[in-house]
Amino acid sequence: MGWRMNVAAAAAVAASLFLAPFALAQDKPYEGVTLTIASQNDQFASVMADLAPQFTEKTGATVKVDILSYPELLTKVTSDYIGDTKGYDIATMDIVWAGQFAETGWTVELSDLIKRDAAEINVDDIYPILMNALGNYGGKQVAFPFAGYANVLAYRTDLYEAAGLQPPDTMEELVADAKKLTNPTVPVYGFVANGQKGPAVAQDWMQYNAQMGGSIVDADGKPVLNSDANVKSLEVYKELFDDAAPPGAADYDWGGREESFRQGLAANMQTWSVGAAGYGDPSQSKVVGKFGIKVAPPGEGLPKKYGVGGWGLAINADIDAKQQEAAWAFIKWITSPEIHKAMNMNGASSYLRISETHDADLLAKFPFLPVIDETFMHGDGDYRPRIPQYPQIQDILGTAVNAVLVGDVEPKKALDDAQAEAEKLF
Amino acid sequence: MSKRPPTRVVAAERVALAAIVGVFLVPVAWLVTTAYKPTRDIFSYPPTFAFEPTLDHFRGVFRYFDLVSLVQSSLIISLGSVALSLLIGVPAGYALARSKSRRAVWVAYFFLAVRMVPPVAPLIPFYLMMRDIGLLGTWWAVILINTTLNAAFVVWMMFSYFRSLPKELEEAALTDGCTLFGSFFRVALPLVVPGIVASALLCVMFAWNDFLYGSFLTSAETKPISVALLVAYGTKDISWGTLGALAHFSTIPIVAIALLLNRYFVQGLTKGVS
Amino acid sequence: MALAQGNTIESGRAPSPAAAVRRRLSFARRRQLFLLLFGAPAVLYVLVVAIWPLAQGVAYSFYDYSLLRPAARSFVGFENYRELFANDAARNSIVTTFVFTLSAVTLEFLLGLGIALLLWREGAFQRVCLALLLIPVTVTPIVVGLVFRALLAPDYGMLGYYLAHWGISPTRGFFGDPSTALGTLVVVDAWQWTPFMALILLAGLKSLPTDVLEAAEADGATPAQRFRIIVFPMLLPAVFLALVLRTMDAFRVFDIVFSTTNGGPADATDVLMIYAVKQGLQFFNIGFASAIANMMIVCIAVFSVAFVLLVRRADRRANEPAQ
Repeated sequence: MGWRMNVAAAAAVAASLFLAPFALAQDKPYEGVTLTIASQNDQFASVMADLAPQFTEKTGATVKVDILSYPELLTKVTSDYIGDTKGYDIATMDIVWAGQFAETGWTVELSDLIKRDAAEINVDDIYPILMNALGNYGGKQVAFPFAGYANVLAYRTDLYEAAGLQPPDTMEELVADAKKLTNPTVPVYGFVANGQKGPAVAQDWMQYNAQMGGSIVDADGKPVLNSDANVKSLEVYKELFDDAAPPGAADYDWGGREESFRQGLAANMQTWSVGAAGYGDPSQSKVVGKFGIKVAPPGEGLPKKYGVGGWGLAINADIDAKQQEAAWAFIKWITSPEIHKAMNMNGASSYLRISETHDADLLAKFPFLPVIDETFMHGDGDYRPRIPQYPQIQDILGTAVNAVLVGDVEPKKALDDAQAEAEKLF
Repeated sequence: MSKRPPTRVVAAERVALAAIVGVFLVPVAWLVTTAYKPTRDIFSYPPTFAFEPTLDHFRGVFRYFDLVSLVQSSLIISLGSVALSLLIGVPAGYALARSKSRRAVWVAYFFLAVRMVPPVAPLIPFYLMMRDIGLLGTWWAVILINTTLNAAFVVWMMFSYFRSLPKELEEAALTDGCTLFGSFFRVALPLVVPGIVASALLCVMFAWNDFLYGSFLTSAETKPISVALLVAYGTKDISWGTLGALAHFSTIPIVAIALLLNRYFVQGLTKGVS
Repeated sequence: MALAQGNTIESGRAPSPAAAVRRRLSFARRRQLFLLLFGAPAVLYVLVVAIWPLAQGVAYSFYDYSLLRPAARSFVGFENYRELFANDAARNSIVTTFVFTLSAVTLEFLLGLGIALLLWREGAFQRVCLALLLIPVTVTPIVVGLVFRALLAPDYGMLGYYLAHWGISPTRGFFGDPSTALGTLVVVDAWQWTPFMALILLAGLKSLPTDVLEAAEADGATPAQRFRIIVFPMLLPAVFLALVLRTMDAFRVFDIVFSTTNGGPADATDVLMIYAVKQGLQFFNIGFASAIANMMIVCIAVFSVAFVLLVRRADRRANEPAQ
């Protein structure tokens, strides 16, 4: 029997040699590679997970998206970097972590790769503010922009109409409108924002503060938490909470305030554009067709600068070269005009490219895209300073502002104390 | 208790119990029903009770979470830590109970003290230790640290149980030619099985619900479900529906185990609490 | 209770005195060795896996050590501890944690005792109730916090809405008002752990000798008297176990605070664990975080030792007349 086996074997070898060139052409470059992505549990996460199989089909790499909550994301990713465990190849990086990532060098510096592949990426199509804010700090590109969020004003068109008011163009008008639209007996409240101690209230207040002309750090990057402008804006914030916000707002985090708007409880809410698509979704929202989106109103006479936030994609510097290559391929793929548009068509609400906010299909589905475009063109990504000390500053402010909202201390005293604490960090 | 209590007293007791149980189960009922409510109906003002049931949240959970991996990780971590804890804890409890030394009680208190440690205290040094050994990201890391707390608990519990066993039985066995190990294994041990089961159950519950170590020491593949629950608590939104659905998978296994072995619980704790 | 081997104590032959002494001596030593071997693995394990990291933690607490800037680590002696007591926030954490622990354990004990007494009677009804009551204990604490937060939200929570509407809760809701937030957390903790307390106390009740109780009843003692003079004193070991376990755990509460108020409003619920986790796992300041953790250990230890001594004294006094 032996010789028959040998002939069969020889035939098989010959056949495979003949077919080899064709097989090689079909070979996928990253066959056998697994990419693990740590993703924030925002709207883009599930969409990214859904689209990932297409990348696998194209390149052979398996993609696993691990969806994490905000506090967990930073902790796990940081401990992965510190521990050299190479658990995550790619991580979504919040805009405010850029400073920390730059200082510690945990992620791959992307400037050269971007220059090399500039044509493929179509760099000019990406909003400059996003390229800078969602990944560049001190000249180092620690992440590639992925999901841009515009800070916008969501308001109730029906309530404004009923009261005969126009939606506000300045912060002062917003405050006045909020008070006018508040009617606890209905109940409906003119305003809602985060009040919960910690990152929730800190981030929301910093946004309003910036619009009213305040700033967390001065030109030298040193903290000026108790500047006159900051104190004034905190007083206004408290006023809004006392006179125009739902009673439970002092304990709201993002989930709470989004919920209250979707339930129809609030007339005005400044929010990240990423949630805007949800208001028009009947399975989630009770204000379908009754809301509008416009640019966040700056203070009277102040320059038009709008808040920008969002997420970048960062590559773990610990992983080996082949993994890094595959990770970069993934990033280029998911931010490519075609795929990124698909993401947004599926509800990711995360804008990146100028072409996207002018795309006919997207505009048909999400008519408020011009607002996002306007916001990004005059965007300010640094109103929450992206410095290495940011987590501690955020915590200090989170405690101070919340204390003011619940009536524990006066705004001036709270910010004076906060300033003292912040100075210790520098 | 007296032999013939008046039916009025019995009835009153039952009513009170039923009311208490009802109150205690309200939050659980809310959580369970949330999983079946469409997102827009989970909250409303004023609150309503009517809703159209949907399985969307379960579908979402199955699609975006690797449930099999999560539950498997939880099981491996809990059962592994319990097994290890019993393995070293039961003999140690026996040793302390049967020791003639007066210092034995203080060693028992030492184990009790170990359980006092706030989980965050050994966390980072342990994390660095695991990094240096290369066990970071594996189930072993979590099993090892969970076992410390659980074993200490087991030692303390078994110390009480064994102490309440009369020594005569083992001594009889010894006189009859049994080895020291045999007197433990074949005489003493079978008598404290309810106590072992009770301790084991409590250990499983502690290990299953632990999220600090689970979150810090595991990787995406080895993550237990107690950590995955946190995902629902995102920043931009709390996906209550997802939470409700996930909670089914994190609570039902434990409830099932607890209910099945409920008998041993009381029996076990009964025999040992003295 | 079946005996593994139905042996009697008498054996056939009586050994000579000398041989018996010799055998007993080596037997005693063999026994000691055996027990030592049995106990050693646990002790060694705990030493390596728990005590060693703890010792390192103690060491870290004397350094200004941030994992984000590991090279900048420097020895600062007791600076971290000094900061801990000088810092208003830290001092407030200590007070808050103590208040929480005392309130929660007391509430759980009283409620648990009441429930245990109700469950004492034999019966299928009681067994079913006990089984159902164990369900809260099995729900993950983080989820417990989230559920209560949702239920008590004053604007749209199923309970919170009505409570705020009828003026029972403050307008900001139980969790939103600094004066009620901590108390609400105590209630949440009690919801989860009272059944656990009840279980331990019930076990103690069921192990009481029925003949003593029946004799007392026959002698005409009222239920209240029976409870005060017989039941409670004999229950003390169970009480001790329950109180110590719960005190240790309540002091280290974290999950429910994190998922409801995150330490707020203002600093009403800023317990030590929240403070320690923030320092250690969000800012990666392990020097300072270790100092906080070490201080917690000292507090718990003091608490528990006081407990042990107190209950042992009561236990001894209770058992004296019975002998």
